[in-house]
Amino acid sequence: MQAMNRFLADSWQALRVWRVWLFLGVQDVKARFRRSAIGPLWILLNMSLFVAGAGLLYGVMINQPMKILLPYLVTGFTLWAMVVSSLTESGWAFVNAEGYIKQFCYPKQIYLLRTLVSSTIIMLITLPAIIPIQLYFGSFSIVGWLLAVPGLLLLLLAALGHITVCAYLGVRFRDLPHAANGLLQVAFFVTPVMFPAKLLQDRHLALIYQINPLYYILEVARHPILHGELAAPEIYAFAAVYILLVWAFAGLVASSLDSRIVLLL
Amino acid sequence: MTDIYLRLRGVGMTFEGQIGGQDGLQSWLTRCFTKGPAVPQSYRVEALNDINLEINRGERVGLIGLNGAGKSTLLKVLAGIYPPTAGHVEKRGHVCPMFEFATGFEMNQSGWDNIRIRGLLLGMAPAEIEAKLHEIAEFTELGEFLSYPVRTYSSGMFIRLAFAVSTSINPEILLLDEVMAAGDIRFAEKAKRRMFEFMEQGKILVFCSHNAELLGTFCERTIWLDHGKLVADGPTAEITARYRCMAAP
Repeated sequence: MQAMNRFLADSWQALRVWRVWLFLGVQDVKARFRRSAIGPLWILLNMSLFVAGAGLLYGVMINQPMKILLPYLVTGFTLWAMVVSSLTESGWAFVNAEGYIKQFCYPKQIYLLRTLVSSTIIMLITLPAIIPIQLYFGSFSIVGWLLAVPGLLLLLLAALGHITVCAYLGVRFRDLPHAANGLLQVAFFVTPVMFPAKLLQDRHLALIYQINPLYYILEVARHPILHGELAAPEIYAFAAVYILLVWAFAGLVASSLDSRIVLLL
Repeated sequence: MTDIYLRLRGVGMTFEGQIGGQDGLQSWLTRCFTKGPAVPQSYRVEALNDINLEINRGERVGLIGLNGAGKSTLLKVLAGIYPPTAGHVEKRGHVCPMFEFATGFEMNQSGWDNIRIRGLLLGMAPAEIEAKLHEIAEFTELGEFLSYPVRTYSSGMFIRLAFAVSTSINPEILLLDEVMAAGDIRFAEKAKRRMFEFMEQGKILVFCSHNAELLGTFCERTIWLDHGKLVADGPTAEITARYRCMAAP
């Protein structure tokens, strides 16, 4: 209990020094594209290549009209990338900050927020790529984008929970980021990202996505962007329950490992 | 004005772990599948043992002791980097640790950005950093190298950069760990002068050194640690004399 209180106090302290983690996060993104000729445009370029390739192939394979499938793929894949980075790269959040943790006395939680900042920026750079596609197919809806804001916030909350769990466990178990990578590849195939959920429903396999929490945290942001309306209330409810569970687990993991992180590095 | 102090009550610091660094999934899995006793190759070091200490505003305290006596550990506990495994630490005031100049850089970012990052991590406000940026840059004498990514720097250049940033802040509680030697002859001389000015500014100074002369210059009070225990605490001249008698062959 005492450990939990200290963790919460530290986290609060970390939130208050937002300038530090915001700066570190922005610098991480800048550093990633430093000395590359087109910089963050690579994110968009890779996305277009992926969509062109996968979109055309899948469109034929699962017999979906491009008008529906292309925006669906880009949105889903962008949000998915955020989920993946919150579960994999975050495993190195403390490990990479070892030099800082061992000599500066800010609460360690700033390195979690830093990771959240950089992956959020990457997501925000990619998301607007959906707009031209939607405009082309005439399905753009500004209301939908506004209604996606609560969903995106839920996604960020989930990501912060993931980052906390993975960063703490990643110091203790250095194999974790690799294992998470492998598991997420499997998750990618069973989560409706590349194919619409309806496809599973039609084949009476709806359970596959219904029990998949990642589906809900994607859907709360994806549905409004694509359909211009809020997602069904139960989708938000499931997403919220999942976030609460992740945060509870994150609190447990963090408070039991917090004082040992510096010794395990 | 708020009071500034450091208080340690019964502080102990024990390091435990597995020898060979296999303290992870591997040993955990082994333990799951082999029903033997826990891996015997573990270590347990009592780096600090029942330290009681009070340092108040205006005090400059030296730390001496042989290698491995617990000096650096004590500084890290004071900084809040190591959470003590026993007892508790009470402190009031902004702590500025100066332990290492060789780590804590973003290798792919420029010298300028590393100045900003280090400044932020030491507790400077962004506006304060921008205001001091020019002065810091000048002190490093790195010139155009500041625009290069720091992975191109030599070890001496890292030290110059880190030293310049660290000594540009206004410390309340300053913790120093043997950081006098910095850079080449010319820089070392300059660094020494700046360091002395810097140490004068601290409201509290805890300074670890093997150099009795330096301790004599800066600290009225010195603490002698041995094997994690506080052996003596008193006026610097007296303690260093006793220490020398013991340590000399």
